[in-house]
Amino acid sequence: MGETAETLKEFEQKQEWWWAAEKKRSRRLDYLRKAMWKKGAIGGLYPAGLYIDLERPVMQTEKAKELEYSPDPYVIKFAKILAHVLDNKTIFITDHSQLVGYLGSLPNMITWDPTLAAILNHEVVNDPTSIPEPMDESLKIISEVTGYWAGKSDLDKILPHMDLDDAMKVLSGAVGWGVPLSRGGYSGKDYEYIMTGVRAFEDIIAELDRKIDEADEKAHEPGATREICDLYDKMNMWEAMKITLEAGIRYGKRYARLAKIIAENFEADNDRRQELLQIAEVCERVPAKPPRTLQESLQYDLFIQLFSRNEAIEGAWPARPDYYHGPYYERDVNIEKTLTKEDALDLAGEFLIRAAEVSQYKVKWAREGLQGIEGTWVWTLGGVKKDGSDACNGMTIALLQAARLVRVANPTFAFRWHPKVKDNVMREIFECIRQGLGYPSIRNDPILIANAMNWHGHPIEEARTWVHQACMSPSPSTKHGFQPMRMANATANCAKIIEYVFTSGYDHIVNMQIGAETPDAAEFTDYQQVFDAWVTQMKTIFSILVRPVNRARMLAPKMTPRPFLSAVSERSVESGLDVCDPSINRGNAWITAFTWVENADSLAAVKKLVFDEKKYTMAELKDALANNWEGREEMRLDFVRNVPKWGNDDDYVDGIMLDCLHAAAKFSRELKCPSGNNWPILPENVSGNIHYANIVGALPNGRRLGDALYDGGISPGPGLDKKGPTAVLKSCSKIDHITDGRAFLLNQRLSPTQLAGEKGYQLWKSYMKTWADLGLDHVQFNCVSDETLRSAQRDPEKYQEVIVRVAGYSAHFVDISRKTQDNIIQRTVQGLG
Amino acid sequence: MPTCKECRKFYPLEEDPGKGDCVQRVIDPRQAYYKAKPVDAEKDAAKCSEFEKNNQR
Repeated sequence: MGETAETLKEFEQKQEWWWAAEKKRSRRLDYLRKAMWKKGAIGGLYPAGLYIDLERPVMQTEKAKELEYSPDPYVIKFAKILAHVLDNKTIFITDHSQLVGYLGSLPNMITWDPTLAAILNHEVVNDPTSIPEPMDESLKIISEVTGYWAGKSDLDKILPHMDLDDAMKVLSGAVGWGVPLSRGGYSGKDYEYIMTGVRAFEDIIAELDRKIDEADEKAHEPGATREICDLYDKMNMWEAMKITLEAGIRYGKRYARLAKIIAENFEADNDRRQELLQIAEVCERVPAKPPRTLQESLQYDLFIQLFSRNEAIEGAWPARPDYYHGPYYERDVNIEKTLTKEDALDLAGEFLIRAAEVSQYKVKWAREGLQGIEGTWVWTLGGVKKDGSDACNGMTIALLQAARLVRVANPTFAFRWHPKVKDNVMREIFECIRQGLGYPSIRNDPILIANAMNWHGHPIEEARTWVHQACMSPSPSTKHGFQPMRMANATANCAKIIEYVFTSGYDHIVNMQIGAETPDAAEFTDYQQVFDAWVTQMKTIFSILVRPVNRARMLAPKMTPRPFLSAVSERSVESGLDVCDPSINRGNAWITAFTWVENADSLAAVKKLVFDEKKYTMAELKDALANNWEGREEMRLDFVRNVPKWGNDDDYVDGIMLDCLHAAAKFSRELKCPSGNNWPILPENVSGNIHYANIVGALPNGRRLGDALYDGGISPGPGLDKKGPTAVLKSCSKIDHITDGRAFLLNQRLSPTQLAGEKGYQLWKSYMKTWADLGLDHVQFNCVSDETLRSAQRDPEKYQEVIVRVAGYSAHFVDISRKTQDNIIQRTVQGLG
Repeated sequence: MPTCKECRKFYPLEEDPGKGDCVQRVIDPRQAYYKAKPVDAEKDAAKCSEFEKNNQR
């Protein structure tokens, strides 16, 4: 014990938190953490030992063939296929686990859904690394499956109904990414309906039966109306919802049965036998009936998440686990004392691991854009309750502590800070940051609640329920407020806006006219003409991305329905309409603005060097950019060094940033989603700054084709913020974080040495006070030294567990590309105090 | 012809003995677990490499 304690202390002193975590965590968590197969792609390829799961595609295909000539409408066929998979897929229970359920048939399998898109299926066929052995047999299966779904997948069905001009521009990959599908993106959930302990699947099924009976009666009364016509579709939708819920209950019972079989036939250890019988009891209970304990609540949540991911590829995991599981924690740990804090910590840690394991096969550009992780599982903690009081509870603390023990890079947390957060919670948050997790990111709750009301008209009580729908964007978890699908293709590669000003909208990387044909930049005679062209390009790019999403949202209810997600959504259970139907959705859309800050720095450079100082002409600059600055290194350095840069509290460039944001905000109110609501922008980057490095041409801020772009949101360019952390905050505070956009990502690097001890906490707290007083909505920290990161580059095997904040997500440092690693190291380490 | 119901890994459903689960112990490079897959009792197991005759049933 003495030796272990000393070793732990040594690890902590050396700030090798990953080894310290190993020493601190329970035997169970240690086993489960090491048992986990990391699923994030590295360099766009899945790690060795992972394989594409062919079990589900075969089941989907065999059931689809069987139903081909059935008279069922599509939505019921779809629900039956989903039920067939849940009834027949291989399930497993890992030793030591208390929570069960996984998407694939085995722990090292990545699920592939062939019903989504032919482009995805083609990647599977051509994947050289993940096809299971024997290869010939697998290729035969893959060929049969992809052959069957060609022309029948969601994207195949949707595309002919799109404007092909917009679709081709989106699919070029130059200005956006993602596809407009209701089964491929970020699904919000109606947690207020399904996670408050009031109801579970059996209750909803009873409600659906009532709805079907009432509708059936009404449909057969004497008379004929439009309403009766609509009832036929609604009855089908309700029936489909019911099929998925019943399958979900059966799926839970399959786990109950397996746990019981293991306990009664295999397990020799009495304690483990009792745990297995407990798992059996839990899975008999949920998801059929509402949970009664923390274990049941977590298991129930996990089942819902898995069912939803059996229905769609979900690239995010909107959740508020402390808020919805907190009451069960309170009852088990503090009131009835049926769980110790350590027991609860084990459950919280295992819940993180179960989520970290989830994997769905994605196209290569998505894997490259999300280096090292499976998706942006950003879980929301803290915040206020509907009445405005502090929502933090014992589960908030347990999750923050568990994160430090299991150190998964995905899910991560984002904490909704508000003035009533207690110091003990802030200390737990600080420990996570200080120990190099890169999370939680900190969100300004009062600002973001006001923002949700401003942009989307969410009533205050609903706005207060907000969760992160992806990395950054708040979305309520209420009946009308939650957004069932954020289609990722409304993600703008904004550096193209300034690039197209100089090419009149022609994209030389993909050789297409994508932007507007604005006048020849060489002929511009004043800065206003440059800015006017910028506004035109901005409007054009945003419109190209938003229109397909709007169209897909209109098509989704009939062509790509979501019966399971509908079944756990009050508005759909009530109305009989698909959850994506715009008529029952308030709307919570946003445009993710990748590579945004380059615009402000570039425009400032043009204004200063071309029009203020007249050192260069527009023709010279246009020519230099067209030639990627080749032969113009001195000129390029002038544009890098001798121009004000964003993030230094310099009104010259900060004012231009505001001009850009105001123009975008104004246009955001002209862009409408199918529910009639606005499309505000949200500057952030994921790792798009690296993904787009070879897609964005030379820019007036001195950047060359191939150079990494800035790391995100409103973060200054790496190394360009030279006046300290307060100047960064002051620049960012000139933005109105309520009215200028939906949210603004700010990365900051802090020194682990400076954050040591109580002094470090007080310094950070003081920084956070300034951040809050200045009204910023977001900040996130990297707190790993250059020395550690460079050592990890030299000797990755030794530093497998070092985590860094990439942009809106964290990743293990060794799992991200060298270019992204270098980009993180280049970020300025801010000295506090 | 051996069938699944003759295998020691077959666990029939109480409510429908014609169906059941094939339950196997697996140890992969990272973890150990039990897996279950629904099967019909009368399914031909002649080519199943996991088949183990159950002498107690």
